[in-house]
Amino acid sequence: MKFQLHSGCVEQSWPWFAILNFGILIDPLAAVMLCMVSFVSFLIHVYSVGYMSHDHAKPRYFAETALFTTAMLGVVLSDNILQFFIFWELVGLCSYLLIGFWYRKPTAAAAAKKAFLVTRVGDVLFLAGIIILYLNIRDFQIPDEAYLLQFQTMFAAIGHIPPGQLTIITLLFFGGAIGKSGQFPLHIWLPDAMEGPTTVSALIHAATMVTAGVYLVARTFPIFLASPDALTVVAYIGGFTAIFAATMGLVMNDIKRVLAYSTVSQLGYMMLALGTGIVIGAEVVGVSMFHLISHAFFKALLFLCAGSVIHGLGLQDLRQMGGAFSKMKITAITMLIASLALTGIPPTAGFFSKDAIIEGTYAYGVHTGSMVLYALGIIAALLTSIYTYRLWFMAFTGKPRTNYHAHESPPSMTVPLIILAILALVFGLVAHGAFGGFLEHTYSEHLIEDAAAIGGHHLATEHAHPPTILFYMPIIVGVLGFVISWLIYSKRVINMSSIVSKRNPIYNLLLNRYYQQKIYIEFIAITIVYRVLAMLGEFIDRRIIDGIIDGISYVIITIGEFIRRIQTGVVQHYAAFVVAGVVVLIILLQGGIL
Amino acid sequence: MSLPLISLMIVIPLIGAIIAFISKTRNQARYAAIIASIIPLLITVKMYFQLDPSKMWVVESYDWIPLAGIKYAVGVDGISMPLILLANIVIPLTILFAFGETKQTSKFYGLLLLEQVGVLGVFSSLDFFMFYIFWEVTLIPMYFLISIWGGPRKNYAAIKFFIYTHVASLVMLLGIFSLYFTALAKTGVPSFDIAYLIGMYSGFDPAIKDIIFFALLFGFLVKMPAVPFHTWLPDAHVEAPTAGSVVLAALLLKMGGYGLFRVMLPMLPNTTNTSMIITVVAIIAVVSIVYGAFLALAQKDLKKMVAYSSISHMGYVTLGFVSLVPLSVTGAMYQQFSHGLITCILFMSCGIIQHGAHTRIINDLGGLVKKMPKLTFLMLGGFLASLGLPGMSGFIAEFTILAGAVTTLYVYVLIAVFGGIAVTAAYHLWAIQRAMFGVFNEKLGDVHDMARYEMISMAILLLLVIYFGIKPDLVWDVMHAGANIVLAGANI
Repeated sequence: MKFQLHSGCVEQSWPWFAILNFGILIDPLAAVMLCMVSFVSFLIHVYSVGYMSHDHAKPRYFAETALFTTAMLGVVLSDNILQFFIFWELVGLCSYLLIGFWYRKPTAAAAAKKAFLVTRVGDVLFLAGIIILYLNIRDFQIPDEAYLLQFQTMFAAIGHIPPGQLTIITLLFFGGAIGKSGQFPLHIWLPDAMEGPTTVSALIHAATMVTAGVYLVARTFPIFLASPDALTVVAYIGGFTAIFAATMGLVMNDIKRVLAYSTVSQLGYMMLALGTGIVIGAEVVGVSMFHLISHAFFKALLFLCAGSVIHGLGLQDLRQMGGAFSKMKITAITMLIASLALTGIPPTAGFFSKDAIIEGTYAYGVHTGSMVLYALGIIAALLTSIYTYRLWFMAFTGKPRTNYHAHESPPSMTVPLIILAILALVFGLVAHGAFGGFLEHTYSEHLIEDAAAIGGHHLATEHAHPPTILFYMPIIVGVLGFVISWLIYSKRVINMSSIVSKRNPIYNLLLNRYYQQKIYIEFIAITIVYRVLAMLGEFIDRRIIDGIIDGISYVIITIGEFIRRIQTGVVQHYAAFVVAGVVVLIILLQGGIL
Repeated sequence: MSLPLISLMIVIPLIGAIIAFISKTRNQARYAAIIASIIPLLITVKMYFQLDPSKMWVVESYDWIPLAGIKYAVGVDGISMPLILLANIVIPLTILFAFGETKQTSKFYGLLLLEQVGVLGVFSSLDFFMFYIFWEVTLIPMYFLISIWGGPRKNYAAIKFFIYTHVASLVMLLGIFSLYFTALAKTGVPSFDIAYLIGMYSGFDPAIKDIIFFALLFGFLVKMPAVPFHTWLPDAHVEAPTAGSVVLAALLLKMGGYGLFRVMLPMLPNTTNTSMIITVVAIIAVVSIVYGAFLALAQKDLKKMVAYSSISHMGYVTLGFVSLVPLSVTGAMYQQFSHGLITCILFMSCGIIQHGAHTRIINDLGGLVKKMPKLTFLMLGGFLASLGLPGMSGFIAEFTILAGAVTTLYVYVLIAVFGGIAVTAAYHLWAIQRAMFGVFNEKLGDVHDMARYEMISMAILLLLVIYFGIKPDLVWDVMHAGANIVLAGANI
């Protein structure tokens, strides 16, 4: 089979070195990302002019964000997996630099390192995947004008890769996606990444870079389709992450950390959507990307609103805020719109995109007989709604809990907010019909059918649609969450003090983020890797390997010291030795021994 | 009649060294040094574009001691040319970096130039006898660099460096003589010609084959250095002056790798038990990569950490060599070149920190970026290159080595990937976080940023690292041609 580019797609490649090439591929999938990345990046740069106006390191800030945008566009436009990896690492570099933007703050420097290293674990898997892919396709007959690691070569070679190897490759690729997109169990870097400026969180850790993992799975979707085991893993990791992160979002008090967990959770939805492709087929690329784009708009908006709140109030802790609505009307209203979108209330963009995902999980459930993913999706949606409105009510309603001087942000900040709010409102209405159809042209039907056949499953042509009550379920839980939060945080008819208490083990578990930080940092990184392995190596090196060398030299020196005693410097001694030697020689000669 | 370019390239730094030694003033010495070290670079650039890397480009060959078959023969090809280029980039930049040296300057610059002579001689010799002489020539200036300009335990480090590597050289010399005499006994023609002797090797008696192979291999592995023959390196680096460390890590270690490609690679398929040797060397390579990385993580002294990172990175060279796959072998050569550039930045950073903060213990530093923003920028660039960030030369080398070697050494490659790469990133970033970022440690007192000549030197290196990470073909193609020749000669 040969990978056919649809008309209108652009692909240009140049040889780089050895067997590798550099190339640009613009197909519908890339085009959608291209528009989103450059548009969101532009708005955030405008917003940054206001937000960063008091910072002395503005040149460095804009240099690094611009470099980031370049690298991100490089990821989007890559036509081969190695180039994808190269830019993928470069966005990681920019993320590292920007999280640690205020590097004199020890927590920022530590968070930057942590982000890089945790994603690096994923990147190692990704790199191993590329290397094993190379191992399997290196003998593949490449068509003219094509190169070995290009996506099209990879897709054309799917049938030539043994299924077991294919599963390994796809799982390793997904390992990279887990790291970059903050999926369980490598999500722990993303909340800490909030140490960077809020604009960076909006750009890199909400809208663009963290979606690169989802984009990777979408980009290589045919090989995932050909290895159903891997795709099942994608679905369950995604579904689990969606609900797992949402639970932690419920208890966070830092306005940005709530949003960070929300991002992790929503990225889980995108992965979940891709995972259901085992039943639905390539359509899920459209579903997932639709949520990716609408999420980019409303989550960037949420972060920018949070930035505006931080900028206007000088506070970041939700417990100190309250009653800011009257002082910051634009911020409050745009943030409410973003919250509506995040919680899937019609007619916002989030409604259409999340609904499509949950519908997909329903079809998946009907087909496989397990409604677990559907249930995860619904419960996560309820939790999302609770924590989202908790944030909004705590920040904007009630009375101020501390004395602060609030002011609305300058127009360079509010205008991007308004633009993004409009998009979060209308994007779904405008695009929900056309979006999937547009993305369907990313992969030819031929390719998808073949890949599914290699994976040993037939794609259902007709999907089960949920019955009416289940169909409205996402909206119902969205509204329910709003009501719960309203009762707790605005009306205060439910007293939370018994739940929000250090004595409550569940609350403690959530507040301590399931103790994952402790396990990863203190147990794995510090204890096992550093204290045990590295220090053991140091001991072996100093005491044993070098000890042997020093031991040899000690022995030689000792022998030398001993023999030196013969060299007394007294001529009579030497004469005596000579005479003794001569006598011995004569005896030996006489005895016929020599 | 064209100029004897290679001989000129070797002789000019020698003349420069003599001028430096007899010069009366510091200025005279350092300007003589910089000029004498740059001229070989110009010659190299001229040769580089005339070179046909697919064959040995013999420039000169004269009989020296005809009775013993010893010749003065120098030449370059795709294997040696990039390393000659590297040497002629690194030495001038090292001299520029060390422009502020005040202690016994005439000797200091003279010794650095002698290193250049020795290294260029090793990389261009076509005769084993000459090869060995130049190999030993590199030892002596380094011994003095460590023992005169070194740190507190300089005498221990210098003597350890000298004896350890000298013993290895002697073992190598035994290997060379065994090659020579066995070939002499077979044909009756005395010759030290490297290519000729290697060609004769396949016809040798199996009993002598192993001895020769392991003797030479030992000599080269100690120089690399490969675990478990590496313990001289951290001690030497810790005590050596910055310029000495730079030359040691960037050039002297590369001689070991060069020996692998030039001498061992054609012999490897003709040994008595090739698969066993490949297994052993692959294990040494992977252990060097992983063990070196973990040890780097354990270090408290920044410079010692960098020294261990060299061991880890040179493990990739061994791995690429032993895979016998063209892609990997070329990648391993590229790693030599790339590591030569990157490690300079790392050791120079250590030197500036030592000079400015008077300590290199990572935990005693902290927040240096406040006082040393320029250094932090360049150092971060070097550290990122060293941890294999794409867009820098190290990534190209490591990726090609791993991708090529996975076809023959599947398990070893996976161990290297999973055991080495993440830890490599960890020790680099952890060190730079503790040393440079965070709150400035006021106990360090008044810390100055780097001097201008230091900055220029490091900036050029960083630009080269980025250039060769984006556009490798200038060097890659030459190496690839060289690797193909040597692999074809080995009948693989």
